[in-house]
Amino acid sequence: MKDGRVIGRRAGLFLLQFVVPVALVAGFGLWSERADDFFFPPLSRIAADFADTWLFERVGTDLVPSLARMLAGYAISVVCGVALGVLFGMSRILRTATDPVIQFLRALPAPAMIPFAMLLFGTGDASKVFIVVLGTMWPILLNTLDGVRGVEEQQLDMARSFRVPATARLFHITLPAASPRIFAGMRTSLGIGIILMVVSEMVASRNGIGYFVLQSQRSFEISAMWGGVILLGLIGLALSWVFVRVENRVLRWHRGARGLLPEPATASGRTGLPRPTTQEVTRA
Amino acid sequence: MLEVSRLRKVYGADPQAAPAIEEVSFEVADREFLCILGSSGCGKSTLLKCLSGLIPASSGEIRLNGEPVTGPPEDMAFVFQDYSRSLLPWMTVAGNVSFPLRYKGLSKREAQAATDEALDAVSLAGMHKRFPWQLSGGMQQRVAIARALAYRPKILLMDEPFASLDAQTRSGLEDLLLDIWRRFEVTVLFITHDIDEAVYLADRVLVLEAPAKVGLDVTVPLPRPRDQLTTKALPEFAELRGRLFSAIQGAPVAR
Repeated sequence: MKDGRVIGRRAGLFLLQFVVPVALVAGFGLWSERADDFFFPPLSRIAADFADTWLFERVGTDLVPSLARMLAGYAISVVCGVALGVLFGMSRILRTATDPVIQFLRALPAPAMIPFAMLLFGTGDASKVFIVVLGTMWPILLNTLDGVRGVEEQQLDMARSFRVPATARLFHITLPAASPRIFAGMRTSLGIGIILMVVSEMVASRNGIGYFVLQSQRSFEISAMWGGVILLGLIGLALSWVFVRVENRVLRWHRGARGLLPEPATASGRTGLPRPTTQEVTRA
Repeated sequence: MLEVSRLRKVYGADPQAAPAIEEVSFEVADREFLCILGSSGCGKSTLLKCLSGLIPASSGEIRLNGEPVTGPPEDMAFVFQDYSRSLLPWMTVAGNVSFPLRYKGLSKREAQAATDEALDAVSLAGMHKRFPWQLSGGMQQRVAIARALAYRPKILLMDEPFASLDAQTRSGLEDLLLDIWRRFEVTVLFITHDIDEAVYLADRVLVLEAPAKVGLDVTVPLPRPRDQLTTKALPEFAELRGRLFSAIQGAPVAR
């Protein structure tokens, strides 16, 4: 009985999160059909344009190149950021020596380097990947560095006392212990990466979603422009959805250790305790 | 046999700085259960870190079975006081116990067998797939003990392993430890600040005075197997307890 009510409440809350978006879309749809506004074309036209363009005509020519450049840059940032972060986190000398440069590069707005990137790499993929790397590396690097510095000394002492070699200590203690911070940096960088993907494609580009949005605006295809914008929003949503799923999986131990897991996991842990109840029952 | 001769430890480069360990000499025989008793801040943990080879001594010598200790020896395992900080929360119970074994040259099967046996010895059979944070404090410390046992050490160093547990769990674990000590035939060097615990567990008790020098070295004549109720009710228990108590009270306290 009580369970039924709990489930009912959960279903209600689940549905509640769709109320505002649906109302907004429906409201805009109704308004735009009648408004006949140049800047805000009817939703039906935007939807039709969206379907025309992105199902699936320009997927290969614009969507895939955009995502590929973004993910390539992001991947480079994750690998280099984590590697350098570990290195600087473990060496005080390196950390002190590189800190001013890192702080400067981090503070530098990455789009400011687009002209230079074009000089260096031309207008192709490489310059866009470079810009994404330049913007997304620092949050990952700095978070990793902090995470590595925060590793429990005793966990490392424990491993040393058991003669666990240094590389194994790095991969089985330092990196997992720093992983919550690494993920925090990666999450920040993911958002930055999407922004830089779009910005870099709006300057001297021949394809990509950013290029498409700008081109549509220039040729007064406003509904196509909106279609591109909506696609960008959806990409952002999808990527962060995937990210959160991965993070939850990889960092399950972290949430568990902090007592943040929902009931079932901790409850199954409880059943692992010595069970005096069964003994008491048999005794009685 | 573990021999410690004229061990001295000063932190930092300044040889004039106050020593953490002034000068300590003692021996531990094979399969002996030795308790080192001292109030907090007397250099107990520093001593244990030196013995385990985690930090180098400033002078003096430590020998394990005749070999000088320069790094963590193969025949030694360490159980830390703070189980929550020495167990790895991203590994399962079995993962934690078998983690050091991977680098000891054991095959997967051997490591698994050693893990099973060790978890069995601390009554945690069947807990393999749980995570440390799903267990109570006493169970977590048992996992840490199992990890040390699975390593098959000849000597077990324990740094106040039961200090952060409640009294009931603690006496249960004391008996478990005595059982393990007998069954696995290990030497135990157990550091504690609890006089009752030291007298109850040990063959011999050393009192450490700040800054870490041996004040008193007494043999515990209590019969084995020991029992929480009858052993602690013996007049010899009370007498020893009294002697150690006044020795610790008389010892100058650090800082």
